[in-house]
Amino acid sequence: MVNSYQATSLQAALDIRAKEAVTPYAGGTDLMIAADENATYLFLNKVPEMKNIAEDVEYIRIGASCTFTDILESKLTPAILKEAAARIAAPAIRNLGTVGGNICNGSPKADSALIFFATDSKLRLVSSRGERVIPITEFYLGRKKTALQADELLVEILINKSGLSNYYYKKVGARNALAIARVSFAAILDVEDGKIVNCMTAFGAVSDVIIRRADLDGMLIGKTLEEAKLVKEEYLAAYNQAIVPIRGRISAEYRKAVCMNLLRDFLESNGI
Amino acid sequence: METISKSVKKKDHESKVSGRALYVDDHIMDDMLYGRLLHSVKAKARLVNIILPELSEGYFIVDKNDVTGLNRVHIVLDDTPVYAEDTVEYIGEPILMVVGPNFKEVERILNEIVVVYEEQDPLLDMRKSDTAFFNYNYEKGDIEKALQEADRVFIETFQTGYQEQAYIETQGMIAYPHDGRMTVRGSMQCPYYVLGAVSKALGYNDQDVQIIQDVTGGGFGGKEAFPSILACQIAVAAKKANKPVKVIFDRREDMEFTSKRHPSISTYKVAIKDNEITGMDIDVIFNSGAYTTLSSVVLQRGLICASGAYRIDNLRVAGRAVKTNTVPCGAYRGFGAPQTFFAVEMVMDHVAKEMGLDSLELKEKYMVKQGDATSTSGEYHFHVPLPEMIQQINELTDYRAKRKLYKNQTGRYRKGIGMSMFFHGCGFTGSGERDHIKAVAKLRKNADDTVDILASNTDMGQGLKTTFCKIVADTLGILYDQVSYNNPDTDRVPDSGPTVASRSVMIVGELLKRAAERLKQEWKTGEEQVSEEHFVEPDFVIPFSIEEFKGDAYPTYSWSVNAIEVEVDTLTATTKILGAWGIFDVGVPIDTNIILGQMQGGFLQGIGYASMEQMDYNDQGRIRNNSLSDYSIPTAVDVPNLVTKIMNNPYTHGPYGAKGAGELPLVGAAPAYVEAMENALGVNLTKAPFTTEDTMKALLGVLK
Amino acid sequence: MTKFMLNGQDVRSILKANERLLDVLRNEFGISGVKCGCKEGECGACSVILDGRLVNSCMVAVGSIEGSTVITIEGYRETERFAVLDKAYASVSAVQCGFCIPGMVLASECILIKNPNPTEADIRDGISGNLCRCTGYNAIVKAIGIAAKEGEGLW
Repeated sequence: MVNSYQATSLQAALDIRAKEAVTPYAGGTDLMIAADENATYLFLNKVPEMKNIAEDVEYIRIGASCTFTDILESKLTPAILKEAAARIAAPAIRNLGTVGGNICNGSPKADSALIFFATDSKLRLVSSRGERVIPITEFYLGRKKTALQADELLVEILINKSGLSNYYYKKVGARNALAIARVSFAAILDVEDGKIVNCMTAFGAVSDVIIRRADLDGMLIGKTLEEAKLVKEEYLAAYNQAIVPIRGRISAEYRKAVCMNLLRDFLESNGI
Repeated sequence: METISKSVKKKDHESKVSGRALYVDDHIMDDMLYGRLLHSVKAKARLVNIILPELSEGYFIVDKNDVTGLNRVHIVLDDTPVYAEDTVEYIGEPILMVVGPNFKEVERILNEIVVVYEEQDPLLDMRKSDTAFFNYNYEKGDIEKALQEADRVFIETFQTGYQEQAYIETQGMIAYPHDGRMTVRGSMQCPYYVLGAVSKALGYNDQDVQIIQDVTGGGFGGKEAFPSILACQIAVAAKKANKPVKVIFDRREDMEFTSKRHPSISTYKVAIKDNEITGMDIDVIFNSGAYTTLSSVVLQRGLICASGAYRIDNLRVAGRAVKTNTVPCGAYRGFGAPQTFFAVEMVMDHVAKEMGLDSLELKEKYMVKQGDATSTSGEYHFHVPLPEMIQQINELTDYRAKRKLYKNQTGRYRKGIGMSMFFHGCGFTGSGERDHIKAVAKLRKNADDTVDILASNTDMGQGLKTTFCKIVADTLGILYDQVSYNNPDTDRVPDSGPTVASRSVMIVGELLKRAAERLKQEWKTGEEQVSEEHFVEPDFVIPFSIEEFKGDAYPTYSWSVNAIEVEVDTLTATTKILGAWGIFDVGVPIDTNIILGQMQGGFLQGIGYASMEQMDYNDQGRIRNNSLSDYSIPTAVDVPNLVTKIMNNPYTHGPYGAKGAGELPLVGAAPAYVEAMENALGVNLTKAPFTTEDTMKALLGVLK
Repeated sequence: MTKFMLNGQDVRSILKANERLLDVLRNEFGISGVKCGCKEGECGACSVILDGRLVNSCMVAVGSIEGSTVITIEGYRETERFAVLDKAYASVSAVQCGFCIPGMVLASECILIKNPNPTEADIRDGISGNLCRCTGYNAIVKAIGIAAKEGEGLW
């Protein structure tokens, strides 16, 4: 009985994915927690096309099978992503865990997925039928539900090359290592010539899906910092409505308070 | 520094660092079977029916009907069933064991068993329990008069939570029958406790049971009584199978279903007259869980410590260990003392605030000194080094200045510093050593002039192999390498008592020292010789009566002062520990590195207890923090280097002046931490652990 | 079947590809220096070095390591670097119950491979996935610092 496939090229992986009911296995750090005895794994950790970190004109392209250590060690990785990767678990997990697995696991607590939300990154999904590139916001359909088709693989994440340098990031866990996010927040404020050209925020671990409300962040875009101050309270009030934390072992009240504190601090630390 | 204190290479270093040390799970025996327990999923229920799947050949079920002796585990009282009878009393209670040659098949069978329960309402709230397993009261002076004549009575209630030992090696054992006898080996602190329990459950004579300690991956109290329970279950299975049976708990099973520190609720009434504390009336409740296990002795120690390191002339202490339908609690480093020391340190802090004093000023005014009466009308017979400890810690931390500086802060980050002072009574509470344990230790000199130590105390990492050998070698004037101490095997060693209560070095180490002194006098080169010593209570001790709760509860005390400095991020309510300092008097260290390691390890466990180690059950009685991700213990990046200093204060009746050490460093961390949080937040706090969520609640109140 | 190199020897695991490397090492190859503390990647007792990097062997399906190199304490203890770490750990009595120690020693090696002159913060980060309940970490951190000094040139 075949109980796994070891793919050594993307084409081979896609062919197997097209024909068989397999569980894609990149780093294993989520899958192996409650390991399924009967799973048939498609091992992607040695697929060269999924292990690169490269750049083109517009994007840094991160292979889905890159581990968090790969990301930390690459010169191309944007600082915001590096900071988040450095806060994931501990070295031994960072040496195995991959961005692809982190995203496809579908958890709102995923530390790297938060950054891809806050940077409006795109996902390149490939199947033997062809490929599509979608914004990460369209990938998440609900708790543990993603738009990945049964014959598809997440091959690359496309993160913008520019406009990410002025960022804000905070992960709140139970401790400083080996911690699952209780609340996490990432944001970008891109200011050119005194004008806000882009504002992107994302909240992790509070809801079924990472919260990214481009419509609300739009309130600040195109404004000067002074003008932004005028809509600050309105903006915060809108988020106060929009963030409805789910109940869990960590109270909704705590999560909400931290989200709002960090959002306000993000504005104020940028002079808004 | 005394010569004996100079550190040596630990006896167990090489085997452990090289990965050669064999723990129980590393042993594989021929024909060995694997067992797994079926645990109750209901907190209180009658067992109506158990429906078993078809069992493949070689697989079978072990339950109460297979117990050939008494279906009770002998601990202090005999109320814990080996396997459940008609009812279950907590989630996790063992109902039966599935045993067979293939572990995965055992698990498959386990998952297919259907238990039909008739559910009853569980009692989960310790305040509502009307079953007090144990109930003790004691008084001194005239507390009623003090309360009546007080200008005011300050009343406050404190709560502490569970703490899980979280040793990295989970519970595990192997039992195997042979020649009409039963051998049980595994991870444990107290081989003779296990022996007593197994012989009773099997209906064997003691000499037909052999217990061997394997290399033990941490205990911290968690392997004091619990291994007796597991050993009985496995021994019954091995007897039925007539083959070796191994059971190793998985982490979730271990965290959810094995004993942990008792949660507590303590109410203090402090009588104040003319700005003096004139009395304390203290009521303590410990949540015992569903069975008694060690709750009586844990409660005793907790109550003895209820007035802390302070001279309170009019005192009344009442305490109960109550039954609830939750996992039975048991021993954990500190053994009842961390709960009440937390409460008394905090109440002193709050009374000080009422009086307009800083807590340290008030504490210094009432702290005990040599010759003072203890809470149970015994005596502090020896020097109490608290004043010099306070001075030293103040020099290290600038405590007094910082404490003032950190009042009334504003801004995102707020700092705080707190201090605690406390003791740990060395050895068994009361007359335990004299009346119950009656320790015996032996030295056997071999013909080649090497010496074997024969005792039942276990090295679970705390360094006993090394310290015992150092004591014997130095006393005999022979090389450290000439003395050896193997893991206890009850067939070979006398009962020198359990490895608990910070007693091993002070009590058994002293017996070994005396045995070595005698052997030295009688030494005959090239001949086999034996030297044996029995416990004798020191003559200065005021005998303790448990009925009256009076006398010297302990011959002597180890002392400590801790300070912890924190910084709270008001946006996230998270807390960073900026520094943690501890001055410890454990008598003369038998080995400086080992003592520092004990102090640092215990201190960090205490910091975890104070801050992040949150465990609770839900309204069904189920503990949800049952993994190392849901129950967080500190990692290497959660604290800075802990500053630990040793203060030499030799004890006349301990070997080389040594006293009890292991438990002390855990006892005072929680009040030091929570006092620091108070200093940062500017409000009175009454619970431990004081978590991030608690901090947020406080901040939302403060910042309103 | 999975082929990989274990402590310098070519080996083949005949267990299913989705078996944990931890179980394969302990049960199939009798490698008892790899300890099981949680099977959830939360304690680090089962740490091994996989293709030069520290990993939790409980988090690795054996089928994913075809052609890879695995080093456990059994292999590592034969090296000169181990001798330096051994001595450093002994000098500060950093070993208590010992259950975390094989993983901790391999984590120490990986810290020093990456950075032969680590700061205290580097050391603490490097062992942050290896829980120790006995020592409070002071002695272990100190030992790794000593090894870095004493083993100059080895890493």
